[in-house]
Amino acid sequence: MVENPYRLKASRIIRVIKECEGVYTFYIATEEEAQFGQYNMLYAFGRGEAPITIASKGEGYLVHTVRAVGDVTRYIDSLREGDLLYWRGPYGNRWSLEEAYGKTLLILSGGLGLAATRWVFEEAMKRPIKRLIHLYGSKDYDSLLYKYLYEEWSSKADLRAIIGTSHPQWKGKTGIITDLLRKLDIEKDSLVFICGPDPMVKACVSLLKEKGIEENRIYASLERHMKCSVGTCGHCMIGPYFVCKDGPIFRYDLIKEYFERKEV
Amino acid sequence: MIGLEGLRELFYLLSESYKVIAPTLRDGLLVYDHVKDFESLALGYKNVEGPALYAVEKASNGYFTYTHPANSPKAFLHPPELRLMKVRRSDGALSFEMERVEKKYCFFDVRACDLSAIKILDRVFLEKNSHPDPYYKSLRERAFIVAVNCTYRTSTCFCNTMGTGPEVKGGFDLLITELEDSFLLEVGSERGEKMVSLLEKKERTEERHFEEKERKLKYLKDSIEEFFDREGLAQRLYGKMDSSHWEHIEKRCLACTSCTQVCPTCFCFDIVERNSLESDCSERIRLWDSCFSPSFATVHRFNLRQSIHSRYRQWLMHKFAYWVDQFDSFGCVGCGRCITWCPAGIDIRQEVRRLAYG
Repeated sequence: MVENPYRLKASRIIRVIKECEGVYTFYIATEEEAQFGQYNMLYAFGRGEAPITIASKGEGYLVHTVRAVGDVTRYIDSLREGDLLYWRGPYGNRWSLEEAYGKTLLILSGGLGLAATRWVFEEAMKRPIKRLIHLYGSKDYDSLLYKYLYEEWSSKADLRAIIGTSHPQWKGKTGIITDLLRKLDIEKDSLVFICGPDPMVKACVSLLKEKGIEENRIYASLERHMKCSVGTCGHCMIGPYFVCKDGPIFRYDLIKEYFERKEV
Repeated sequence: MIGLEGLRELFYLLSESYKVIAPTLRDGLLVYDHVKDFESLALGYKNVEGPALYAVEKASNGYFTYTHPANSPKAFLHPPELRLMKVRRSDGALSFEMERVEKKYCFFDVRACDLSAIKILDRVFLEKNSHPDPYYKSLRERAFIVAVNCTYRTSTCFCNTMGTGPEVKGGFDLLITELEDSFLLEVGSERGEKMVSLLEKKERTEERHFEEKERKLKYLKDSIEEFFDREGLAQRLYGKMDSSHWEHIEKRCLACTSCTQVCPTCFCFDIVERNSLESDCSERIRLWDSCFSPSFATVHRFNLRQSIHSRYRQWLMHKFAYWVDQFDSFGCVGCGRCITWCPAGIDIRQEVRRLAYG
């Protein structure tokens, strides 16, 4: 008897945080093992499933941040503390954090991509990383995620955020993430983790190469259409890879051929 | 060795324990379907195929005179529509009833190409999958396979190019080869052995019967042209991803998805919800999908493969290059169905040849 990979489990939502309009963070009670970089399939009755990255993990709980963009995510964002969330997972691979030991780790997050880098960023603060830098770009002040964590993060790492349009409460820079990256001094043997929209990943990689960082030192977490999450439905294919199981994190030199070519 | 009466006896013996799926005539097509009577088998008919061309005719003599049906065993082992589970909602909590598929199929008359396709699906769903598919596994494990060696070919067959045929090699319970005046019956498994032991109308097989089989297969094999070299094909195609030939194909391809539907190995699927009016029950349904569909690679409401040529490239590259990296085999068995059923008559053999060796 093989385990049915489509079987869903129930977890109680123990905490909900409104990040901004249409974006909520859910803490669900579970003892399930998971690794930074992995994702779960969250289910909405009668609507379907959506792959959502695991934003963080604590003793007895997992954290997901969900933006209401489709039927499934809109339903999930309507859930509140005490409700049950049905899901399956975790799926996919993890960030290769150990490679950064004794070196500089640069994390680049764009928009909701911060949900996919948050956990590994938090974990990196506890590991023997020589220098930890996190550049985060967001379209505007209201879309910034996890504002309540910046103070703590800034005390443990070099966190620099940038937003697209100015705001009375924003004391930092305005612009896009590449503006921050362009000015950054960084060692050639640094390790880089990126999660953001495809064009952001491409632009960042190009700047990193100018700084002498090779493509095999860059990892990107990709987003593709997923239905089964176990490498069978075919939707998430990019070249010979299934993003759902071979990824979502790819060493850039391995994926470049397919990622940079149009319509692969 | 058996005669026609032995074949009939075997068919009914199998029907006692299995739901027999065999080639039969339906709406002018030769198709795999549930066949209850021996008389309903498509014996003595032949299929005439060419690019965008299909006909069924009465053969002049013989029984297994066709090649393969229009559909393939995939339609049963990986059904076009399969319920994965029923979800019930009551008092805000959900309960799940996982679907159990326990049909016992006997595929009566599977040709070398389709047998290879089943082995390929085994890799996709089970052997090279870290989450083996329980639905496929259940149907596959129960299936009894009676393979048949081809003694005829159509103009779209290219099994020898893909190295899958025309001779059946392994993976069957029983194997039939039609000879001049009898059927050579070979055993490939314990289950097959058991079935033959129950058979009354059988005769001793002599060396000359095997010699006749060899002769027939060699004659057929020599008559099929080799279209391209498999050796190094995947690497050649990886080097042709920016070829202008893809756009040339786009001028003909309608993105109709026919090729992926008739393909015996195309496995892609969608999962959709089917809801009851009472809104207390929802079924999760697995449906065949196609990389030619305009929404297949949609991320944030935008399909990454907008152009038809990029979708055709995805299909062909998957079959002949990506598949090799993913599952250690090609995703094409050379059955030729996609050539026959392409309304534009696109011939994949020619496209591969032009792309990789043109």
